[in-house]
This record gives sequence, C-alpha cells and structure tokens, in this order.
Amino acid sequence: MNPLAQPKEIVVASGKGGVGKTTVTASLSVFLAKNNHKIVAVDADVDAPNLSISLGGGKKREGREIRISHKAVLDAEKCIKCGKCGEICRYGAIFQFDAAEAPFIIEILCEGCGACTLVCPTQAIKIEEKRTGELIIEDTKYGFPLVTGRLELGEHNSGHLVTSAKKIGHVEAEKVGANLLVVDGAPGIGCPVIASISGAAYVVAVTEPTPAAKRDLERLISVVKHFNVPAGIIINKAEISEIYRKELKNWITEELKMPILGEIPLDYEVLKALTHMTPIIEFNPSSRAAKAITEICKRVAEKIE
Amino acid sequence: MSEQISKFFHIKPVPSPIIAVTGGKGGTGKTTVAVNLAVALKMNEKHVMLVDIDVDCPNDAVLFGEKLENGEDITFFKPRINTEKCVKCGKCAEACLEHALVYVKDQFPAFFEELCSGCAACQLVCPVDAIEEDRKVLGKVYISEVDGIRLVTGELRPTEARSPLVAFKTKQKAYEIAEKESFDVILVDTAPGVHNPVVRALQGADFALAVTEPTPLGAHDLGRILDLTRTLDISTSVVLNRAYIKGGFKKVIYDICEKYGVKIVSEVPFDEKLIEAYIRGVPVVKLFPDSPCARAIFELADYVSEQLK
Repeated sequence: MNPLAQPKEIVVASGKGGVGKTTVTASLSVFLAKNNHKIVAVDADVDAPNLSISLGGGKKREGREIRISHKAVLDAEKCIKCGKCGEICRYGAIFQFDAAEAPFIIEILCEGCGACTLVCPTQAIKIEEKRTGELIIEDTKYGFPLVTGRLELGEHNSGHLVTSAKKIGHVEAEKVGANLLVVDGAPGIGCPVIASISGAAYVVAVTEPTPAAKRDLERLISVVKHFNVPAGIIINKAEISEIYRKELKNWITEELKMPILGEIPLDYEVLKALTHMTPIIEFNPSSRAAKAITEICKRVAEKIE
Repeated sequence: MSEQISKFFHIKPVPSPIIAVTGGKGGTGKTTVAVNLAVALKMNEKHVMLVDIDVDCPNDAVLFGEKLENGEDITFFKPRINTEKCVKCGKCAEACLEHALVYVKDQFPAFFEELCSGCAACQLVCPVDAIEEDRKVLGKVYISEVDGIRLVTGELRPTEARSPLVAFKTKQKAYEIAEKESFDVILVDTAPGVHNPVVRALQGADFALAVTEPTPLGAHDLGRILDLTRTLDISTSVVLNRAYIKGGFKKVIYDICEKYGVKIVSEVPFDEKLIEAYIRGVPVVKLFPDSPCARAIFELADYVSEQLK
C-alpha cells in the first residue's frame, strides 16, 4: 500500500429509505476491518444517523460544532418597515403583513443568500453564521473510528456537513493509517447524497424487489453515472417477492446494465441483530443473511483492490 | 421559534386542513400510510388531495400503479451574463455567497450552475444591468387524478441538489390547485429525515402523523422528528407500523411517545397482503380491504376524520 495515497471512499446508498443501507454498512465495515484493511467509518446520513447504534455504540472521543450555515438577522431598531426585503426574498422566508410592523425573518426557511441585505436601505439586515450541526468522533468496539455527522433540526446545508464529515474521516484515516473510508449514505438523491458520492471510489447501491425501490434505484444510478463512479447493486430482502425479484434482476442486468454484487435473503436474524445492536455477520455468522453478506463483502473488497 | 414566528410559518392560502405524514427514518411506511389513508378517506366520501413532497424519491404514484406523465418544469432564477453590457467589475461575484459566480480580473465572470441557489443577488448589484434572468430546471411537478383523488407529485431532477426549493414549489402548486377546488383534506407525504425539505413539507400542516417501526433505528429517528414537529409547533401523533414483530422494540417506542406527550393512534400489523398489494401497485385498502393492515388503516381514517371535525 502506498502510504501517500488518499484513502478510497466506498459509499453505501439506496435512493429509497429503509432498504438496508445501515445494516450493510455495519457488516461491511467490520468485515473489512477484520480482513486486512484499516478503515474509518463515516455516517453521512446526517438527518438520521444510525450507524453508531448498529455498531453497538462507541466510546465518544470528540465532538465538534460545525457552523457553515448563513442566516439573515434583522435589527428591528434600524428597520424602516419599507418591505423591500420581503419582496426580494425568493424563498418565502420574510413575512410582513402589517406595514406598521417590522418584517419577520423565519430562520428555518432562510437560505442565507444575502439578497435582502442588498436591498435594505438602512443596513438593518446582516448575514450571520449559524450552527449547521455537529461531528462526533468515536472509537467503535471493532477497533476502527467512526465519524458521525448530525444535522441541526431543519437545517439546509446537509451536503456541506457530509463533506465536513468526510474531511474529518480523512484526518482520522491519516492518524490510524487507514486506506479506506466506509460511508453510510443518506436516503434520496439530493444534496447529502451528491456530497457523499462525489469523490467516491465505489458505490454500493442497496435495493429490494419492490416497484418503489426499483424506481428510486433508477434515480440513484442516474446520479452515480453522472459522477462517473463505479457501482454494484445488492438486492436485500430478496424473497419478499419471487416474481418481482426475477423481474428486478433482469432489469438491472439488461436495462440498467449494472453488476449485481449479491442477494440477501429475508432472514429474521437480521432484525434480531438490529435489536441487539450488533452487525449481523458478528451476531450470527452462520445465518443465511450473514453468509450472503459475507460473500458480498468479499466481492466489494475485490472491487476496490 | 417564538409564538409569533410559528404563527407566520404556518399561514396557508387555503382553508382545507393539512395533514403531514412523516417519520424520521426512511422505509418505515410513510408512503404506504399516506396513499392508503388517502384512499380510505375517499371511501369515507371525502374530497382528498395527496401531495407527494418526498421530491428525491416520490413513490405515491408507484403505489397506485400509475406512471407520471406530462410534468410541468419547476424552474428557478439563474443569471445570464450579457457580455455586451458587462463591464467586468466583479460585483456580482462578490455578492454571490454560494460562489456560483467567480471573477478573475479583466474577464467576464464564470458561472457554475450547480452552485447557484437562484437568489438573484447578482442581478441586484450589477451596475449596468448586464445580468439577465434565465431559468434553470430543478425538477418537475405532476398533476394527476387517481381513484378520485387529486395527486400532486414533486420530483427533483437527478443530479440537482436543491430538494428544499422543489419541495417549496410543489407546495405552492398544490395550493394553487386547492384554491380552485375545495378539498376536505390535503395529505402531504414528506421525505425521510429532519432536514429542510421536510420542513418545507411540514409548513402549513395542522397536524402530523409520524410513522415509525419498533426497531432501535426507528426509535432514534422518531425522537428526531418529534423534536422537529415540536420546534415547528405541529401537533403530532404516532403510527406504529409492523407493530408486532417478534422481539421488537415496541416498549421503547411507547416510552418515547410518553416522554414527548404524543399518542400512538394506530398500530399497523405486519401483513403479507400489504407487500403483495405494494408490488402489484394497488393500495391494500382497495385490494384486500379485509386484511388486518387494511383494517388498521380504516381505523386510522376514522380517527383522522374525527380530528377534521
């Protein structure tokens, strides 16, 4: 391994929520850590970060506040109630119903663009830096560090927070000599997902045999292809529908033209592992699901060699 | 947020009550509950609008077995620099806090569309009116009617990052339609999570249903969404999906609800009929009205109808 090389990023994504991203990420991280890789895990699902729970909770080492959001703040004493700020705001974040009253800026809707500051004749509005969220660094019981991004409720800038989390992941990687970042992505295809995928070496896309998951996978893969990142697909809960499973597999190979990394059977042990907050490959290695996931992990490890 | 701000935040241009279906964690059954609740309310003779504001991955139409067609573009401002007028002063780039416009001395500003938030600050500061209004396409909104329900779907264009703006515009479109037709109820299906697109979807809601599942992850994310609806001052009830899975975390969910002072108003059992209906693209309340999960949704519809009175 070249010590100067940047660690590679593997991102687990899905489009649709609840198809098993975190279950896969937890097992993949532990598998790689136990099979000659040095890794750092990053939870980039900053809205609903669950990787720490799935890894049984770690020892928190550090918390960092991230303040990269911008919000308009009004000084009511300087305001002459002209209403120009409300007219210019394209995000519906400034309300003024009574010309005799100063307008209200609803912080949670403000994009921090600063257009209102430019039209205000009395410089009554300022742009201020606000808390975007926090990054938590912990040491997991499996010997690798985990960086978790936690977005402030209702915030914009989830993508910036993901980028910050990955940056700290790289700093941790340098400290422990890791060659891999395993990133648990957010559902969807928007800002946080784009930030996760950009710069990634490989995307593991998790899906299930249902029309909704297929539709969302299609949308995710169009983003992945746009960023030119190689990817492979896992069909989770494969037995929910035998008929649809065949249809989905054909479609992935023929239409989407993507490789299938493997299929994970519907297995009650997965749920049990989850409630015991232990990755399935550790909780019950001889279970059907654990065997399937182990094979998939081997394939992912080959892909990133 | 202060009382006054939360009052402004929820102002809506239509009198119809709005119920948001949300939940924190992905895949807990938000869309299943929203779609089937819409159908059940329609069966109760209600005039229903269903608005899908999970703009990253909108699936309400998929659950109806419908294909979305003839969408209308959702666009936002982007600058077009008129190089005949531009004096290369660089003021536009200075005003652009997103750094979508970049200025190098003695050159026309360079524009990076993917960074542009569409605020038009550049246009405000240009001393020679060299910045003209162009539009960038952020997504699409689809208006359709299925089973007598008005369906409005917002869809983010893949590779575009600004889901909150697509959510915002989808809501505006829904309001436009609701101003013309009067609905007994507007149901809004939100994205997972607690980020800004969810805030946009929750705006104007009279109450929210948070759909969760009895797992540690469902429990953790339920706490987050209840924090958010509390911040936004939206009265919230919980729907516990897959309620009786063996070894589940049901008690933990009940404890969280007690802590937040919210009620669990429905327990939807895990039911294979639901998956069959889901895959066939027919709402389960229509396909298997006697199945245990359909019966739970009908009871939920009765509860919601009570709340609407």
